[in-house]
Amino acid sequence: MAALSAAEPTTPPDGTAVRRPTKRRRRLLPRQLTGSPLALLALGVVAAWIVVAFFAPALAPYGPLAQSITGRLEPPNSAHWLGTDPLGRDIFSRILYGARLSIPVGMIAVALAVVLGTIVGGSAGFLGGTADEAIMRATDLMLAFPTVILALVITAALGSGIRNAVIAIMIAWWPSYARLVRGIVLSLRDREYVMAAQALGGSRLRIFLRHVLPGTISPVIILGTLDVGHAILTFASLSFLGLGPPPQIPEWGSMIASGRNYLDQWWIGTFPGLAILTLVLAFNILGDGLRDLLDPRYSSR
Amino acid sequence: MTLHRYIIRRVLLLIPMLIGITLLSFILSHSIPADPIATNLGDRAAADPTIVAAFKHRWGLDQPLYKQYLVYLWNLIHGDMGTSISTRQPVLLDLRQHLPATIEIAVAALCLSLLAGIPLGMLAAVNRERPIDQAARLTSLIGVSTPSFWLGLIAIVVFYDRLGWAPAPARLSADLTPPPFLTGFLPVDAIASGRWDAALDWLRHLILPAVVLSAYSLGIVTRMMRGSMLEVLGEEYIRTARAKGVTRWAVTVRHTARNALIPIITMVGLSFGGLLSGAVVTETVFTWPGLGLYAFSSATSLDFPAIMGTGIIVASVYVIVNLVVDVAYAFSDPRIRVG
Repeated sequence: MAALSAAEPTTPPDGTAVRRPTKRRRRLLPRQLTGSPLALLALGVVAAWIVVAFFAPALAPYGPLAQSITGRLEPPNSAHWLGTDPLGRDIFSRILYGARLSIPVGMIAVALAVVLGTIVGGSAGFLGGTADEAIMRATDLMLAFPTVILALVITAALGSGIRNAVIAIMIAWWPSYARLVRGIVLSLRDREYVMAAQALGGSRLRIFLRHVLPGTISPVIILGTLDVGHAILTFASLSFLGLGPPPQIPEWGSMIASGRNYLDQWWIGTFPGLAILTLVLAFNILGDGLRDLLDPRYSSR
Repeated sequence: MTLHRYIIRRVLLLIPMLIGITLLSFILSHSIPADPIATNLGDRAAADPTIVAAFKHRWGLDQPLYKQYLVYLWNLIHGDMGTSISTRQPVLLDLRQHLPATIEIAVAALCLSLLAGIPLGMLAAVNRERPIDQAARLTSLIGVSTPSFWLGLIAIVVFYDRLGWAPAPARLSADLTPPPFLTGFLPVDAIASGRWDAALDWLRHLILPAVVLSAYSLGIVTRMMRGSMLEVLGEEYIRTARAKGVTRWAVTVRHTARNALIPIITMVGLSFGGLLSGAVVTETVFTWPGLGLYAFSSATSLDFPAIMGTGIIVASVYVIVNLVVDVAYAFSDPRIRVG
């Protein structure tokens, strides 16, 4: 989310950028995704990584924890395609297993941030007035803390581990979703169909839950999807700093960290980084296309 | 609302924001279930009740939380952020020593990404949907997708380990006596004391981390500049200029780019937070003794005063930078309605 909000500061705060009929989106989506070979390739890469995550035990030639005293620090060869690490573990197998961790972690962290952000932003937009002002100031406050520093403090305090890293990412990210949801709620609130529902005598809460909130779902889900790549990157950064899962668990960030002490054995750190890069890049390419749909300012004029 | 009333309002709004920042830093570093006693005293000391009591008393840990906060705030107003548990130095002094190093690489990285990103974004916009545009787009996407710690590691392997072009990761060579501490900014201190060798050595050390750190913001600047250019290119006055027969170059640079740069000002402020986040990781990789490295070591040792001090400084810098940026924005574009 950080990347997104930074890239679009000119978007009006009332969320007009997302005010587009859904009909148009449905028609454009296939063309945007199939029209560009790059987007197709990205879709393929993401799909391939998901397959890898599902079938890692079948695909990996070695176990992720299988050590070999005699086969330590081997450069890439026919037995170990991407070489072995300081404990003689097969890097290729560990990278495949790493996908099983990074992809779900990225998705869960974003999903939690989306839920929390929707609740907070939705309440702000629903309540309005002083409550809205107070909630949004608190949100701005959270945004003043750089993501990694915030996540660093949280994971360091809660203790390192996968669950705490996810919590840290969630806490650092929900404010951007809160802002987004509030913006959409405010823009939908004065729409004619909402007024019509009011005229029909629907209660405020009912109108909000039945008519306003659903309108936020699709942009939030789309924007959340694009953020999965970013979440994977943040998780890897935390792991790299030693705040992720314990070292024996195959995780890309901590694999790169273990390469820091073996500069001559370049393969230890290089290949896990390529795994992160390909997956995150693919997510971002997909997200880039989807964002064009959401933000008419960037799409074809 | 007139411009100076806007500025006064924004500055006044800064006060509750800064108080909020101290409160949030306090809550973050105190309400989390972690035990500073276990991390800062050894096992044997932690088993001794008198040592534990003395430690608690020294850091005010035996008082109710709201009192601890008020005490902290009172001391903060008097320029006292407490003493770091791990360095045993006043936190303010620690921050004073670490902040300049971070500003050095953050500013260097920002300059690099603006220098490369603005022309790249312009090129992409002018050649819209053509191969140059696609290449620029891919470059910016790669920039935001690359793990900076990985890029840093590769840079160290290639330029230091293999080619020997870059010095060993540090802020200054180990065999060089650092210049006397004046401002904390190494190049300034070095030149002020006539140590050109140190200034040059610093520059050689700066290049790799700055380039690595700039990758992310380069991606954002490029995409921002492209979008902003496209927006301005669609304006009617551009069509008028073209119809008048103004050359393509003049339209692109003088009529379009100058106006397209205005939103980039905002971006600089917003990306500052990202730069500071990136600095944590980049500083760790390059052992650059900045705020990122300090935040990392104090967070892992649960050094509460240091964590709070860092949080307050970093968030305040971010808020103030954005205030300056917003004011600059209001100044630079009379069309902007403030209110």
